Amino acid sequence: MSLAIPNGLDNSVERPGERAPLVLGDTTFHDITETVCCVAERKPNKAWVIGFLISFALLQWFGICIAYLLYTGVGVWGNRSPVFWGWPIVNFVFWVGIGHAGTLISAILYLFRQDWRTGINRAAEAMTIFAVACAGTFPGIHVGRAWLAFWLAPYPSLNLWMWPQFRSPLLWDVFAVSTYGTVSLLFWYMGMVPDLATFRDRSKNKWRRMAYGILSLGWSGSSRHWMRYEKAYALLAAFAAPLVLSVHTIVSFDFAVSQVPGWHTTIFPPYFVAGAIFSGFAMVLTLMIPARTMLGLEKLITIRHLDNMCKIILATGSIVGLAYGTEFFIAWYGQVPEEKFAFLNRAFGPYWWAYWTMISCNVISPQFFWFKKIRTTPWMIVIVSIFVNIGMWFERFVIVISSLSRDYLPSAWAYFSPTWVDWSMLIGSFGLFFTLFLLFCRLMPVINMAEVKWTLAKQHHMTHEDEH
Amino acid sequence: MKTSTEITMSESKDKKIHGIVAEYATVDSLMAACRKVRDAGYTKTDAFAPFAVHGIDKALGIKPTKLPWIVLCCGLTGTATGLLMQIWMNGIDYPYIISGKPFISLPAFIPVAFELTILFASFGAFFGMWALNGLPKFSNPVFTDPRFDRVTDDRFFVYIDSTDEKYNQSSVEKLFGETGSEYIQSVLEDDSPKKVPKFMITTWIVVMALSVIPLLVVLRMRVTNSPLPRFHVFYDMDFSPSKDAQQNTTLFADARAMRPNVPGTVARGQMDLNFQTGIDIDALAKIDGPRAAMLVRALDDADLAEEDEAVNEETAKPAASVMDTTPWLSENPREISLELVEKGQQQFGIYCSVCHGMNGSGNGLVNRRAQKLLSATWIPPSSLHQQSLYAENYPDGKLFNTISNGIRKMPGYASQIKVEDRWAIVAYVRALQSSQNASMDQVPASEKKRIEKLKTQVDKKLKEQAEAEKKAADEAAAKAKEAEKEDAEAAAAKTPSA
Repeated sequence: MSLAIPNGLDNSVERPGERAPLVLGDTTFHDITETVCCVAERKPNKAWVIGFLISFALLQWFGICIAYLLYTGVGVWGNRSPVFWGWPIVNFVFWVGIGHAGTLISAILYLFRQDWRTGINRAAEAMTIFAVACAGTFPGIHVGRAWLAFWLAPYPSLNLWMWPQFRSPLLWDVFAVSTYGTVSLLFWYMGMVPDLATFRDRSKNKWRRMAYGILSLGWSGSSRHWMRYEKAYALLAAFAAPLVLSVHTIVSFDFAVSQVPGWHTTIFPPYFVAGAIFSGFAMVLTLMIPARTMLGLEKLITIRHLDNMCKIILATGSIVGLAYGTEFFIAWYGQVPEEKFAFLNRAFGPYWWAYWTMISCNVISPQFFWFKKIRTTPWMIVIVSIFVNIGMWFERFVIVISSLSRDYLPSAWAYFSPTWVDWSMLIGSFGLFFTLFLLFCRLMPVINMAEVKWTLAKQHHMTHEDEH
Repeated sequence: MKTSTEITMSESKDKKIHGIVAEYATVDSLMAACRKVRDAGYTKTDAFAPFAVHGIDKALGIKPTKLPWIVLCCGLTGTATGLLMQIWMNGIDYPYIISGKPFISLPAFIPVAFELTILFASFGAFFGMWALNGLPKFSNPVFTDPRFDRVTDDRFFVYIDSTDEKYNQSSVEKLFGETGSEYIQSVLEDDSPKKVPKFMITTWIVVMALSVIPLLVVLRMRVTNSPLPRFHVFYDMDFSPSKDAQQNTTLFADARAMRPNVPGTVARGQMDLNFQTGIDIDALAKIDGPRAAMLVRALDDADLAEEDEAVNEETAKPAASVMDTTPWLSENPREISLELVEKGQQQFGIYCSVCHGMNGSGNGLVNRRAQKLLSATWIPPSSLHQQSLYAENYPDGKLFNTISNGIRKMPGYASQIKVEDRWAIVAYVRALQSSQNASMDQVPASEKKRIEKLKTQVDKKLKEQAEAEKKAADEAAAKAKEAEKEDAEAAAAKTPSA
């Protein structure tokens, strides 16, 4: 019985009546272990080292910028009256959105029994954690006196004698993002424990064995444990699914609950969630395609995985495009002069360049995924994904900046310009993200071995059934 | 088939045997073995696999877990915590008033309650699962077999515990042999050192001790009195660089933070002092230098109300005294015009007439009310038509000063009436005064007839009024007399009995 398919590593061909294999080649359980563990066990290759050095340098620059900001004050940013929600909030919403694909892949696709998620969910979940870390940085330092950010927490303070305001979406955000970060971390770590046990059992070095031994909590692979583990995993997935929807909904409330024209709309929650998934999947692809080549994971992260993710990008990208159209329609249909102006201003006002960048990247570029040729050619996918990421960053820019810079009173209008600190922090946050991701590739199981083995066993079983 | 149990048996005489494991290469053989073990009646069994083998719980006879119930309880606790926390904090303990929203507004409390539900339930699922599994547990007898390392790679194991009621070494081995296992082994006691290495404990203690230091330092700093300034990491505008009154500074040679006026300068608003005070300041400076300087200073900053008040007292007293030596301005500095007088009339009507009356006779509404109440402390407002208030006795400047600073019961109106309007009032008062002493010669010929007619009418009315008043007064007097008489009689009736 061979699972090898005629055209090598391409499993994107549809064969009616037959499920395409998700693990390619004449792979055994042991092959999967070898493939994944080798990533962490062998010496890092040149590409990894160069990538890590660049990211780490950017991370340090990020740290220096934060220190400079804390020392001097938030005035080093370009935020000025009336655009007080500038670059940092754009970055925050962008990064929170990136995180969503990870949870979506691991939770919602799990609940829908989409087996193809098993190859990609670990890296996507890691991406979620790191994106939430990047996102959390920005509101943390945006509060001005960052060393007093703990005032957001409802704790009995002897200094303040008061409680936070629970009717404010900004406070809901604190709860939503921190809950999201925590639950994602638990979900990610719990999923990793069996694989960390594999690392433990394979390690030759005493220190390595001790470190992975502690991290894997003494996992023995007992069926009783597996059964409770699966139940807990299913429950966490069931919680993470509404959670991921609620987080970006609440982020959108930050805008929608205000009265600023262009923000005060009920379309924001679904539109933000679709955009988040859209940008998150683009980021997963941007990360995964180079990683799968560099780490030699082509048999586990197959073209079919990429193809499926491209289809999700196409679907969510079209939802986002529809949302842009709906916004314009409602602005006209609602006949609120300020609202009409806000949308015309977005397209033809001083930020027209940002708006049309957003439209071309978010609405036009994903439409290329209608072509199967593009969906199955990794380098083309990367290009489109990068465009989607750029477009989604600009979407947040357009929403935040254009509405604030031109609201009700023409006397209060101002043009926003970022400073070098703004730019450095945006680039620096990518340093943080990539540093963490590259470290993760070196130290942790990048692929959920246990689940892929299960997928493989299922695949074997199905072929066996065919033979009967 | 050769089992390795026989070989290791001799070495393991002194070690406790926990049970027996058998190894399998495929999921199917594992499942078959599990079913066999279950059917043979063993209950204290387990299977080990690198991934979750679906259906093995049935094959092995494992009961469903109670984890969902734990999670449900945790989730409900989260909901309750979220709602109660918000209701207590924002509805009861510290109610915020935010654009008319209710203090306890459930729709607004839903997001946080939802997030806490998820958070608590997730903690329940995560920690509950590990707790039910008895993990973390770093020592496990099955780990003693190096071959068992492959359970996390590609091998499957079935285990029967020695505490099982039906346990019997040879029969278990026989059963495993029948399942086609290639490797059957006793699980021996884990003889690896039970104790955590000393260096780890030491490191842990050192790290914990070091981590407490910052907290202790902070706590110590919060309770210690020290003459030194507080250690501030972030200043938070706690210290303003500006100086308070009476503070020292190193910036000036005299070390005073408060700066005196520069000699020879005229501050803004000091220029036309005569216009503002009604006093000829130059003349005053010659006869009473300090008072002139004080007036200048008082006007230097009109906002310094207290100082202003002090000056008012100073200026009011001499004005009231008989020996008034103040060189009052004798002429209205504003150009007299019909417009000015009309402005003065309007202002007089607003501010002065309530006491002085519309015609300036001193019988305004306030005065009439006070008379009616027989207010004991009431000093009737002056009639502006008395000789002593005429321009020759009471210079325009003095009249202006009285309006500005008040006199006797009359408060100063400087804060209400603008300087130029006060002068307009002065002009109107003069016009009012001269109106009372106007002769018929002064009336233009065209108006004469009408005025004369009016005069006779008014005279008649006044006469009637005076008669009516006299009659009323007589009646009142008679009544009062009668009442007095009655009182006296009553008093007299009382005295004898006393």
